[in-house]
Amino acid sequence: MKLNKFRKKSPWILHYNTGGCNGCDIEILASLAPKYDIERFGALNKGNPKQADILLVTGPVTKRCKDVLRRLYLQMPEPKVVVAMGACGHGGGVFRNFYHVENGVDNIIPVDVWIPGCAPRPEALIDGIVEAIEILQTKSKEKEYIRNHNEIIDKLGAKDD
Amino acid sequence: MINLLITIFAPVLGGFVFGIERIIKARMQSRIGPPVLQPFYDFFKLMDKRAYIIHSLHALMGIMYFIAEWFTLAVLLLGNDLLIAVFFHVIAVLALVIGASSVRSPYSVLGGLRELMHMISYEPLMVLMAVSFYLITGSFDIKTILSFNGYPIFQMPLVFFAFLLVIPMMLQKSPFDIAEAHQEIIGGPEIEYSGPFYEAVYTGKWIEYIYVFTFVFLFGGNHYWLGILLVIFTFIFVNLLDNSTARLDYRKMVKFSWFVLIPLAVLNIILIAMWR
Amino acid sequence: MASFVILNILIPWIFALCVYFFKKDIITNFLSFLLLPILAFLSFKIFYGNLPIYIHTSKFFDILMDIYDFGLLFFFLYVGIKHKNAYVTSLALLQITLLIIVLSILPSSSTANIYVDKLASFIYIIVALVGTPIIIYATKYMDYNEKNKHKFVAILLWFLGVMNFAVSVNNIEWFFALFETTTLASYALISFRKDKEAVNNGLLALWMNQIGGVAILIALMLMVKQNGYYYFTDILNHPKNVAIAALGFLSLSALVKGAQMPFQNWLLGAMVAPTPVSAILHSATMVKIAPYLILRIAPVIHNTLLAKLLIITTGFVFVSAAVIALTQDNFKRILAYSTISLLGLMMLTAAVGTPIAITASLILILFHAFAKGFLFIEAGILEKAFHVKYITQMKRLIEKAPLTMMFIFFGFLNMTFVPFGAFVGKWMMIEEASNFLTHGSYILLIVFVGAGSAFLSILYMKVLGISVRKAHGIENIKFIHLPKTFNFISFWYYLFLLSMAIFIAPLISNFIVSIAKHLTNYHINIYSSNLSLTINNSTLYFWQILGALIILTLIHILPYFVKFKADFVQPYNCGENHPKYLGTWDFECIKKYEPFLMAFSIALFIITVVLGGGLL
Repeated sequence: MKLNKFRKKSPWILHYNTGGCNGCDIEILASLAPKYDIERFGALNKGNPKQADILLVTGPVTKRCKDVLRRLYLQMPEPKVVVAMGACGHGGGVFRNFYHVENGVDNIIPVDVWIPGCAPRPEALIDGIVEAIEILQTKSKEKEYIRNHNEIIDKLGAKDD
Repeated sequence: MINLLITIFAPVLGGFVFGIERIIKARMQSRIGPPVLQPFYDFFKLMDKRAYIIHSLHALMGIMYFIAEWFTLAVLLLGNDLLIAVFFHVIAVLALVIGASSVRSPYSVLGGLRELMHMISYEPLMVLMAVSFYLITGSFDIKTILSFNGYPIFQMPLVFFAFLLVIPMMLQKSPFDIAEAHQEIIGGPEIEYSGPFYEAVYTGKWIEYIYVFTFVFLFGGNHYWLGILLVIFTFIFVNLLDNSTARLDYRKMVKFSWFVLIPLAVLNIILIAMWR
Repeated sequence: MASFVILNILIPWIFALCVYFFKKDIITNFLSFLLLPILAFLSFKIFYGNLPIYIHTSKFFDILMDIYDFGLLFFFLYVGIKHKNAYVTSLALLQITLLIIVLSILPSSSTANIYVDKLASFIYIIVALVGTPIIIYATKYMDYNEKNKHKFVAILLWFLGVMNFAVSVNNIEWFFALFETTTLASYALISFRKDKEAVNNGLLALWMNQIGGVAILIALMLMVKQNGYYYFTDILNHPKNVAIAALGFLSLSALVKGAQMPFQNWLLGAMVAPTPVSAILHSATMVKIAPYLILRIAPVIHNTLLAKLLIITTGFVFVSAAVIALTQDNFKRILAYSTISLLGLMMLTAAVGTPIAITASLILILFHAFAKGFLFIEAGILEKAFHVKYITQMKRLIEKAPLTMMFIFFGFLNMTFVPFGAFVGKWMMIEEASNFLTHGSYILLIVFVGAGSAFLSILYMKVLGISVRKAHGIENIKFIHLPKTFNFISFWYYLFLLSMAIFIAPLISNFIVSIAKHLTNYHINIYSSNLSLTINNSTLYFWQILGALIILTLIHILPYFVKFKADFVQPYNCGENHPKYLGTWDFECIKKYEPFLMAFSIALFIITVVLGGGLL
């Protein structure tokens, strides 16, 4: 039995706001609510990287958030997909080149799907999730790495004593 | 025979119950909800994930939780004593709590401790329920109770009422989903499990559904239609409660259990004992 | 056979004298190792011999005992005056006065002074199998910066002999003397380190146990006044016309000796002494006199108001001691509270007095003795080899002290989980009590047993939870070398507990039921077939015992051997670095109820003596 066809049946979402204006988050909540109801595709908002398949990132990634984002990404088991949502995630949006932002999600972790708009409508979000599921099915269980993985990994982990 | 079949296929059956529950929950919120087989899709998907563990002890405890849960169900259905099954359930809790508190994640540790609060809320009541079954049917034996010609539900309505409100504590439903608390501590004891190891914990919870609803079924005596009706009623009632109430503090849960539910059950037992 | 009984009492005393006078390591070690087979042989020989044994003693011994009584009481008086302790002094004076009155009215009797039945020989077996290993352990324990090793071991040896003597006397006046001797022994052992705290706690134990002595003397007076006899066998032979007030006072002394709630402080204070003292007080000797005494009078008080009130009092202690234990953070203190709690359960089951309840009580005594001795020994090893005293220091114990941690885990499993004795006792008690729920106390009994076992389970899970907490990613556990004596004793208890759990059905139906049958003279409907245990109509099948045992064994042993081939990942903490140290709940919210629990238990205590004893 090929198990990877079940990936498209139950995409579990981890949502993380990296310092945006919360507009996108309201749209995400709208898509969970009765009108759009993404649970009919089996999607759940898990809030826990250990059990999630899709990392849904909104916001421009502030400097404070970037290590958190890396850790969340590294704690997700493969196969996994990153979806950047909203204009801020695509290079910073209105926050571009501010002193405190990293100008978009793909400067920190690899992004698979981009959902444009400020804020994107729930339809666009669902479209993006469906796109992400397609990518998820083609991915393998091999470990994925972030940019400058080896240099950063020591900084990220807590030291055991 | 049917007991053996239920025991063996408990995870499958529990999965179906869980799937139906998700649909009912969605419909109560006027959503469409996932398909019935959704828990099994989740199951196969989790099987295909890369295994990440904190350390081996933790991962092992997830598997032991599943085994203990299944064995507890076997003891309930195949053995002949309700009390032993009630005490067996503590082993499953032990595995879950040891696993939860063996990692240095505050959510997991907190979840494990709250699981203990759940246990002191429902364990004494389960014992009282077994005793009241004994008083009515004259046996702790599940087979005797199921062939008892009478309506235990009418003789122990207060115990049934107390048990109805204890079920949310056992199944982590809303007014008492304190250990799991998804918005607060993100799943509590199960948070650190991932991939195949989460699958064990996830499936263990399905078996818990069968375990709890078996007790509800017993309230019908040998009138199986009544038992089935009670199970359906309980199922819908618990979900309604889940959807319509907010989470309580764990202190409130313990106080509610100890100062409302247990006295009610004791009152019922006193009445039965005097009636005889 | 009578000579075996006398040997059983005298050999520990002779060994104690040898140890005390030679003060040589080799002699101490050799004698303590030698005592184990000797006492085990003697006690089993007595148990399977012709019982009961009556030993008539000459008048001379009576006079000797009276002189000894006075000597003991005057020694207490001396201790009270020396340490300027008003309680000890006044209680000693009161006892001297009461003793003079008792001796003046005591009629002479031809009943045997020493009476050994199955119950007494059961306690011999516990003393031999649980108490003697603790002495072997003490010989090694005292090598870790402690003084007066030989004196300490000598007192422990002497104490075992006293315990053997105390359970085999028939004359209640002699029993008083031995009761007070165990008090003296506990005083000597608790204040062994001679610092201020130790002496204070020793005096506390002294005056609290003297209350028990006063109660026995009052019981003697009432008994002589009303019935004219003062022997356990006479009480058992004429159950109808015994002064119930006397039995009330006897059970009061049992409650004091068993450290039930208002008097729990002396047992808690015992932890300032070296750990073998706690081990021997909590498991084999001393506190076991309490359930022993209730079991002795159980057939007489069966179904009286006294028994019902005793059930409520001890059941309340069972629950509330378990609740208070949640707030403690000293490991030995937690163990002490759980002993108090389980002693409550033992006395509760004994006070119910039906044959199955008595069986349950005996099961609890046996398994509690082994498990508690085991746990205290491990606590001592933790203290000496790993310098861990508080549960906050027990973090990551599973990495630091894997073997000790495994033993502690197993000890805790023994105290509440399914196939083990404590569970079987509770299960039998609930099933038995369900048959006669005609009185409120029996319904309360079920609530108490259910609630208390839940509280004890969460107590143990809380302690285990903090000690299994590991740093993530560490997989290789090094087994640290411990002294051979420690390992021998640990494995002794471990293997005993494990095999008793597997063969629990034949153990109960052959060994323990025979004692209960001997005590109550009723047929007991407990039998085993194919290692399954059947009580009335309920069966604990062997596949259930084995399944639970395998699951629990896997839970406590497998973590050291199983290594999954998977990637390691950090624990989730919202993406932040996870904290290095996490504590556990200290249940501060319960602490404010402690005075109320104490007040309530004092009230119950008074009600038991006044109403149950029929003093009104």
